[in-house]
Amino acid sequence: MIDFSTAPELELLRDTAARFASDHLRGNAREHESARGVTDAAARAWRDTGLGLLEFPGENGGAGLGALARVLVNEELGAADPGATLALDSSATGLYVSAIHPAQRVVVVCDLESRLTVAGGRLSGSLPWVPADEPAVVAVLSREGAAVAGAPKVLEILRGSGLRAAGASAVNLDGVEVLSQWSDRAAAATALARVRLYTASLLLGVMREACEYSRAYAVDRVVFGRPVAHHQGMAFMIADMAMAVEACRLLLHEAAWKLDRGDSDAAAVCARAFVEACEQSMFVTPSALQLLGGHGFMQDHPVEKFMREARTLSLMAGGVDAARDDGGAALVEAARVEVARTGGS
Amino acid sequence: MDLELDRQSRDRVTMLAALGRDTLRPLGLEADRLGRPIPADHEFFASLVELGQGRTRWRPGHGSGGRESGQEAGRTGGTLAMICAVEEMSYWDRGVAVAFPGPGMGEAAIMGMGTEDQKQRFLGPFVEPDRPRWGSFAMTEPGAGSDTSAISTSCRRDGDDWILNGAKMFIGNASRADWIMVWATVDRKQGRGGHRAFVVEKGTPGLGNFKIEKKMGLKAYESTSFTLEDCCVPAANLLGGEQYYQSREGTRGALRTFNAMRPMVAAMAVGMGRAAQDEALIFARDNGLLDRTRVRDRFERIDRRLAAARLLAWKAAWLADKQLPNITEASMAKALAPAVALEAASLGMELLGETGARGDHLVEKLFRDAKAMDIVEGTGQVQRVIIARQLVDLPRS
Repeated sequence: MIDFSTAPELELLRDTAARFASDHLRGNAREHESARGVTDAAARAWRDTGLGLLEFPGENGGAGLGALARVLVNEELGAADPGATLALDSSATGLYVSAIHPAQRVVVVCDLESRLTVAGGRLSGSLPWVPADEPAVVAVLSREGAAVAGAPKVLEILRGSGLRAAGASAVNLDGVEVLSQWSDRAAAATALARVRLYTASLLLGVMREACEYSRAYAVDRVVFGRPVAHHQGMAFMIADMAMAVEACRLLLHEAAWKLDRGDSDAAAVCARAFVEACEQSMFVTPSALQLLGGHGFMQDHPVEKFMREARTLSLMAGGVDAARDDGGAALVEAARVEVARTGGS
Repeated sequence: MDLELDRQSRDRVTMLAALGRDTLRPLGLEADRLGRPIPADHEFFASLVELGQGRTRWRPGHGSGGRESGQEAGRTGGTLAMICAVEEMSYWDRGVAVAFPGPGMGEAAIMGMGTEDQKQRFLGPFVEPDRPRWGSFAMTEPGAGSDTSAISTSCRRDGDDWILNGAKMFIGNASRADWIMVWATVDRKQGRGGHRAFVVEKGTPGLGNFKIEKKMGLKAYESTSFTLEDCCVPAANLLGGEQYYQSREGTRGALRTFNAMRPMVAAMAVGMGRAAQDEALIFARDNGLLDRTRVRDRFERIDRRLAAARLLAWKAAWLADKQLPNITEASMAKALAPAVALEAASLGMELLGETGARGDHLVEKLFRDAKAMDIVEGTGQVQRVIIARQLVDLPRS
């Protein structure tokens, strides 16, 4: 039976995330960005929420929750500061790849084009950017499986385009020892789906915040004798932005719901939601900046940051083209077998 | 959260898929080829009635305005159940789906606003119809489309009657209907506050000049213009009675109807978009185009946007069933789905190339059919105005 309501326990979880985001992230976003990390107070408050153990299994002290919980929480965190979220929630995506310790700073690299190699128990290759200054663990997720390695050699600390609160560095992996490794295409596809969902739900939060901030500004700011938002060209853009956010949210919730159920098409549906989030974020966040005009370009307002965060997030999780490949391949494969000429479900 | 259709809805969709494959699509293609609506006396309509179609959701003697309640309502009456059904019917042929007998859009207004006597008189014949019967809903006029507040068909009280004068156009199934719900105004200056709805019965003197319009697509059902010339309607046919309008509920009644309808029209567009996508996939598969990245990426986009549009329609319908505000969601679904349906059909035409230019392929028909969905029930632009009113309090003038 179709039901869009959220279970009360998930609502509580979302409220917790929203409260933490308001109390510790949103107001400190610029400070976290320039510090390349979060304040100690924010880190302590984060630990107190227990959100860092959201998906970790119960025997490891985690909450053992699933993808839908993740999407609801990440929308709230992403809305406040996705970079700080990556810094705080340091091992969340690592969990999708391996039984990683919750406190470790893990960088998951979705290496879908075999840029890195594993031979003789060691990695080789380099990465022009990872969202951390000094990652303790690099987990390389490929189409075939995963390899978890120790700390890479940091070649350069980078400014980073977006997500600066997470830190940024160029790393070399030559000779880094592989600590654990597995091969399983199906498991790799599921892990990739989870990483995509994690990233896309942060993007959703960024989009929502960009929408709301620019909407409020456009109602307040008067140009040519009336609020910016009351010029129809702007009003329609605001409507389209809100529509994009809601459509994206529904696709993400559907993907999470399918992932939690273990549906056979869950990975393809996650890829679809990721592509939507990436595409729409590049409509929503530049439009938000546009609504503020010159002010939007200045760092006095957060919309320029929203745009940078969105662009950077949508480069992660193996990139949008790989996700487009996966969604399209599933569709085309189904068509080859038989075009579904029956309907609704 | 649950996004799986219930068993009854799935069964209904399966039944409609069989009906669609065997009947709706062939009839729609035939009507398109012949360029005229399916005649009212076509045996298809009689067979539908025998199958239990063309009935009202209203049941005499039930409480809460005669609405069905509990399990029965879930089976046949919920907005969600309805949109799943209309999506599937529109997948096979939206034009034929609109031609289906039944009380049509006026039903919700009668159930929501009508007196017990009116429900009995106008919906009663649709409980167990003895033959195909149609109701019709007439708001649009030559000078008032999406801007329904601008209707100029006038009504004035004359003793126990009302006298209606004006012209309506693009009205579905009007010439074959037992009754037409005609929206008129006591005073144009009052906008929607001056609106009154009348159930004008077939054969009422002054109701006439029916003209079936020639359309670009969706030819299987009639879109009809007609006039009301000193058309004398009994006061008993004023929907809800005079008192209803004195409490200014009339305006909200009409808008409520539209709020339930927008997700419905969105679902129709999703069905048409899916049909175009499937036909295009078949063509691409049969012509070795599926391996082309450019082709596959376009299909990926269509599939994704259709999924989003369907979820928006479902969400708006779910809210309606929960009696929760759905103005924004309904307009979002209505704004998005038709654009995606047209994009799907247009992509299909691109893939077909010159085969599409021949004018005899289903994708070409869908390309013509789909455009209307961005116009009926308020254009995409009107939907954005509605959304903007909710988001930024966009002024009405």
